[in-house]
Amino acid sequence: MKFEILYMAFEALISNKLRTFLSMLGVIIGVSTVIVVVGIGSGAQKKVDDQYKNLNVTTILAMGNRGKDSSSSSKISEEDVAYVLENASFVATGAAIVEGSLSVAYGSTSSSLPAIGTDPGYLDIANLELSAGRSFTEDELTGKAKVAIIGYSSLETFWGDETTDPESVLGEYLTVANKKVEIIGVLEENGTSSSMLNYDGSIFVPFTTAEKTLLGSNARLMLNFLAKDAESVSVAMVEIEALLRKNHKLKDGKENDFRLMDAGSMVESASATATTMAILLTSVATIVLIVSGIGIMNVMFVTVSERTKEIGIIKAVGGEQKDILSQFLLEAVILSGIGGIIGVVIGETIIPFLNSLEDWYVVASVTGVAIAFSFSALVGIFFGFYPALQASRLDPVDALRGE
Amino acid sequence: MPKDLLIKLEGVKKSYFLANGEEIPVLKGIDLEVKKGEFVALMGESGGGKSTLLNIIGCLHPLSAGKYFLEGRDIGVLRDDSALAFIRNKKMGFVFQSFNLLSRLSALKNVSLPAVYAGITKKEREAKAEKLLAGVNLGDRILHKPTELSGGQQQRVAIARALMNDPEIILADEPTGALDSQSGEEIMKIFCDFKKRNKTVIMVTHTPSAAKYADRIIFLRDGKVISHDYKLNSTK
Repeated sequence: MKFEILYMAFEALISNKLRTFLSMLGVIIGVSTVIVVVGIGSGAQKKVDDQYKNLNVTTILAMGNRGKDSSSSSKISEEDVAYVLENASFVATGAAIVEGSLSVAYGSTSSSLPAIGTDPGYLDIANLELSAGRSFTEDELTGKAKVAIIGYSSLETFWGDETTDPESVLGEYLTVANKKVEIIGVLEENGTSSSMLNYDGSIFVPFTTAEKTLLGSNARLMLNFLAKDAESVSVAMVEIEALLRKNHKLKDGKENDFRLMDAGSMVESASATATTMAILLTSVATIVLIVSGIGIMNVMFVTVSERTKEIGIIKAVGGEQKDILSQFLLEAVILSGIGGIIGVVIGETIIPFLNSLEDWYVVASVTGVAIAFSFSALVGIFFGFYPALQASRLDPVDALRGE
Repeated sequence: MPKDLLIKLEGVKKSYFLANGEEIPVLKGIDLEVKKGEFVALMGESGGGKSTLLNIIGCLHPLSAGKYFLEGRDIGVLRDDSALAFIRNKKMGFVFQSFNLLSRLSALKNVSLPAVYAGITKKEREAKAEKLLAGVNLGDRILHKPTELSGGQQQRVAIARALMNDPEIILADEPTGALDSQSGEEIMKIFCDFKKRNKTVIMVTHTPSAAKYADRIIFLRDGKVISHDYKLNSTK
């Protein structure tokens, strides 16, 4: 009997192809859309996570207060680093860098890259690893040597392919601000590509070379400190602020002539943006689910009178209520289940396609699949089954009228 | 109760209730006896309660008051779904004016349907359905869907379905109402054959040409029986 009912359910679905297709379509669209939308949300979150995963949360940045209070004679300088390191007790290490933008050319390809002038210690502070070559030497630093370390994405920029063997570009010469600069190292992919910290796309040169030879007046000085540990970041910030004020001889009540930022709060604000986006996308997904639910409901209700009559016939020939309900429940389960599976397949097919597009980053998430599948399945089962439940409670005569 | 008495109704009443709670009495106390092997026609004006009476006998409707004995057993009190389904499945075969076939199923599957709920295996029931369809001259139409059959053919499929579980009674509600006279006569002949096997037919009809096949005619008017044993000048 159980098998017979399963067979009847399949037969009903197969013989009513249009209805089956339309109600399945609701489930399919609901499931696939939600999977994609949730995937976009998780993608955004993961992108933020990736972007900052190599960022040391103990990093504290100090930079000049450009534009504001320009009359101030005292600005942040390399000496500030030494002064802070000497006097602070919560700061582990620090380095000065100069930032700017340089036009870099290799062969016929040229590009404007963010440039960072630094000393060898900075690579450690910024958590940067070399995939090939070496860092600067002290001699190169003092001698303003024309050498450079390039970021990961420069491989693609100048050699057309980011899988280019980094070893093969060592010893090549780039034209940087009309001067020949030798590549001595290539960085591993770091993942940071925010406007604040675009390590992957940057070119690194010795501090002195950058300041005097390459950047000149375009240089912007930035001080990088690392707090002793994550807990002491806020204390270290207070300490650095006080020391910088002292070193800059700022009187009480006078505004800082520098800005301080810590990596932790940068990550937090980026995370908050991603969370906002996730909430937005969740709302979109919810609307999609409701709309597809209404679609499923409509198709089911349109056929209620036909199915009610069918239930009347089955009752008249001696079908019991439980047989009828089992059949309709099975129908709804099969329909929603198959629709759900097709929806998952479509959703999971769309995701790699979206990822192949530029600037799209979508992560297939199990949560998305689970939410989408269970919601649509529930809607499908409910609207498939509920009218049948109502109809099966009617007297056979009333059901036969198809009311 | 005599042994050959199949159906006995005592003071059966049935009312419908409107949405505002107003009671519409349809059957106002029916006393009725039908013997095994009888062919009875129910006639009377529209709204007189013929179909309601037939549906009550067929357990498609609960009665509001009174007693209903089937083979000596009081089944008017039954409200249990499985028990009623069992009676409809094993004892009754229904034939409706509008055929009430499942349009998505073939003639063969429509005829087998009652046997599905009687727990008969597929092989067994389809063999029997084939035989029944051949018996109503549709042996070459078993895989046709209802929409591919004429009205008369559809009604013969419906009768084959009614016969599937070897019922005691065929309950027919204007079985010839949607058919031309020749198709109608074919249906009546099948009913007569059924009666010859000591089975019972109760048929609601408007048309004297169908009623003349019955052993007797019960006339209903305004929810009451006004004649139990009316006979047309039968030519059968």
